[in-house]
Amino acid sequence: MIIAIASSLMAFSQDANELLKMVDDNLMPESYEAKRKLINEEPDGSKKEFTFYTVKKGNDKIAILYLLPASEKGRATLRLGDNMWLYIPSTNKPIRITSLQSVVGGVFNNADIMQLEYSVEYDATYGDGTHEEYLLKLKAKNKTVAYDKLKMWITKEKKILRKMEAYSASGMLIKTLEFKEDKNFGAGLFRPSVIETYSPLYRGYRSLMIYQTIRKRQFPDEVFTQNFMGKLGDLR
Amino acid sequence: MRSYRQCIFILMFVPSVVVMAQEEETAEDGMEEKKSLEWSGNLDAKFTFFHMRESAPQYYLLFPFNKPSSPFLTQYRLEPYLNAEYSTSDLGFVLKTHATYFGDSDASVNILEAYSEANLSFHTTLQAGKRVYNWGKGYAFNPVGFVNPVKDPENPELAQSGLLSANIEYIKSFSTGPLQNISFLFVVIPASGSTGNRFTELKHTDLSFRTSLLLWNTDIDVLAFYSIQTPKRIGMDFSSNITDNLEIHGELGYSRNVETFSIVNNLVASNNSHGISTLAGFRYLHESNITLIAEYYHTDFGMSTAELEMYQRFLATTTQSKNPLMIQQVTKINQMYFHGTNLSNDYAYIKLTYPEPFEWLYFTPSVFSIVHLADKSFLLSVTLNYKPVTNIEFILWPSLISGGNETEYGSKAFQQKVELWMRVFF
Repeated sequence: MIIAIASSLMAFSQDANELLKMVDDNLMPESYEAKRKLINEEPDGSKKEFTFYTVKKGNDKIAILYLLPASEKGRATLRLGDNMWLYIPSTNKPIRITSLQSVVGGVFNNADIMQLEYSVEYDATYGDGTHEEYLLKLKAKNKTVAYDKLKMWITKEKKILRKMEAYSASGMLIKTLEFKEDKNFGAGLFRPSVIETYSPLYRGYRSLMIYQTIRKRQFPDEVFTQNFMGKLGDLR
Repeated sequence: MRSYRQCIFILMFVPSVVVMAQEEETAEDGMEEKKSLEWSGNLDAKFTFFHMRESAPQYYLLFPFNKPSSPFLTQYRLEPYLNAEYSTSDLGFVLKTHATYFGDSDASVNILEAYSEANLSFHTTLQAGKRVYNWGKGYAFNPVGFVNPVKDPENPELAQSGLLSANIEYIKSFSTGPLQNISFLFVVIPASGSTGNRFTELKHTDLSFRTSLLLWNTDIDVLAFYSIQTPKRIGMDFSSNITDNLEIHGELGYSRNVETFSIVNNLVASNNSHGISTLAGFRYLHESNITLIAEYYHTDFGMSTAELEMYQRFLATTTQSKNPLMIQQVTKINQMYFHGTNLSNDYAYIKLTYPEPFEWLYFTPSVFSIVHLADKSFLLSVTLNYKPVTNIEFILWPSLISGGNETEYGSKAFQQKVELWMRVFF
């Protein structure tokens, strides 16, 4: 009993931002490559699938290459801090876009796909959790992110993210993300492999982000340049 | 004839690459099995309905002798794109082809790009072959696109034909300080057939250079083009995000000894001059998710309003003369000296895009206009883009033109058109 109370007090005294950093670390290595599939399900049951190859380095560099479908193949986005570019293979030209610009259709948007680290973009405070889960309330550090506020439910045992709600600045719920099906990706990375998203703005629609592979990998900084966007596929 | 040669080249060359790819398929690297050779492409079926402007000079150039009985015309064409890409970690080969098919007796094939590349390191890449360069930050116009193909502002994202060249690029990134990246690109462009056959004179080789910087979160390019046959050019461009939903960009190019043409006393007159071309624009994202792109473009080398009117009058009088020899000459003059997509000095481009309005997923309407600022003629287009099923895209694209016969847009052969595209990707 005493131990339980003590550990509970310790947990609550732990800085919320440290916990958020821990959540980040449990979700992704600092530098990695990943392959993931995005499935958009529509109310009539039809589906659209996208496959991405992602490379990330540190807390401010991420690049994404569309592998499928064929109509999007070769498109790439690069984010370097608050700078973001879109590359369209038919024109062989990176275009600087605003950081809030959406580059993929459907319920998912840039923030879901080009996510760097929550602890880099948000400040966290504790909310009222449950016996099994912490609740973190996140507020965006600046306006370059799509969601002004987030609520996160995190397991107390392994500090794994289970659920997240994304809100606009006006407090409107934009979408809910559920993190499911924990999977061992190797090299000590054990995390949810499926993120299910639904939104009150798109009733009847559902999106699934399925991580197929995540691998720790180091890249030179030159990979995260506009010049390299047309060659991201060479890294695979 | 040339198209058939290109077909034969592709048919002979592609299988040899396939064999090479099969022999050198890369091993599983733990991430996934990546094929060394990847094929992709799309087939565009394009149907266009035209409401022609029968009084326009360009209409007479299209139909100098046998005028259609009605101003309402249609056109149906197929445009297959076939691409092959072979790559290993340090070598690559890219082939992009495009064909246009109106009928068995009217078809052509183009090689848009065919180049090989050697990635000497993450810093240095060497490329040789036919390659598309797309310099400049502008969306619809690129005054510093010294080695770019001629851009069509009506469809800036269209795949275009590249330049026979060789280039080497060096990139360097910095983890601290305001300068995040710097790159140097050096391009060598051999002259094509400058002796009148397949040989060229060494001194006619053109050189071009671009330095790109990411400095204080701003993209900056400094560019130069050197030639003894064509104008020498220097320029710079920039692009930066001013706020989280506003991007601004600009280009400035200076050219020496540019030969411009006009019509004086019903004859083609040429003039050599120096001058600038410039562009200023922005991209703004409204909270409703509507994106506005606006650009202003100026060039010192376009025709003035008076010169443009003179040119249009010249076209009108000669084409309406019904003299076959004269019409033939005018057609030739038009193709040789006045073939650019924009002929005058000052233009504005505005485009509004609203992706997935009213929660209608995969549907993107947009509207854009190109305005000739001096004579106030303009093109107004709406594009309705819908991707209901994976790898299929439909585009409905109505356009209308406003302006009198002596204005730039008013002289076009049509006054309204509606295009319907169906694109299937693989």
